[in-house]
Amino acid sequence: MGEYQDTRLDGVFNALCDPTRRAILARLTDTDARVTDIAADFPISLNSISKHIRMLERAGLVTRSVQGRDHVLALNAAPLADAAEWIEHYRRFWEGRLASLEKYITSRKRKRT
Amino acid sequence: MNAAVSNSIAPAAVVVRRTIAATAEELFDAWLDPEALAIWMRPGAAIHTTEAKVEPRVGGRFEINMHADSGVIPHSGVYQLIDRPRRLVFTWFSPHTGDRDSLVTVDFLPRDQRTEVVVTHEQLPESKREAHNGGWTRALEKLDAFRGA
Repeated sequence: MGEYQDTRLDGVFNALCDPTRRAILARLTDTDARVTDIAADFPISLNSISKHIRMLERAGLVTRSVQGRDHVLALNAAPLADAAEWIEHYRRFWEGRLASLEKYITSRKRKRT
Repeated sequence: MNAAVSNSIAPAAVVVRRTIAATAEELFDAWLDPEALAIWMRPGAAIHTTEAKVEPRVGGRFEINMHADSGVIPHSGVYQLIDRPRRLVFTWFSPHTGDRDSLVTVDFLPRDQRTEVVVTHEQLPESKREAHNGGWTRALEKLDAFRGA
């Protein structure tokens, strides 16, 4: 992986490690939404919501467009593909290792008995 | 919503489980024994040998070198928590983590005569990565002491 991609992947995982940010992304998977609508959905201050949204924008997961007086947010799913690839690699890796651990433990027990 | 999106929004981590007919102690020890690791930490046909070196203490390092025809794939990390036979936590650094630390937690849960092994592998958020040589390790040691009390 190149330096650029690592940095981007970092941003994506940092963005995803917070439940509020995951909820914002989930909210945007159905439809675009105004910042004020999103803020109304969460029981935290507009200031905190804005910080979460800025972090999602920096990770490239959310884009903002200004329509008149409204700031409208849209989901950009492309960076999630890198995260999904990382997750898929390690899901397969650990599934394989645990199968191998079982084989090791079982054969060792057979040898002892 | 496509699968990639839902998979990554839901958990920013990999969770893999397997229930094995063995005690938690037997399974736990296989994670810290270099001879055992050399046998079961050998993924796929491409890896013909695995060498493991471990310092099984909190703050101790491990190295697992997987030898393929194309060269050696090095894996290493530092033990953050060793709570035999319940939980093992270590950092994990490999070419597949973009040469950055990630964090692996292994839980051993008794299930009748068997044990469920749960591996949770997550990217280390930036804040924790910077801190993990100092504060992070100490925080986990405290947690360990608290659990033992």
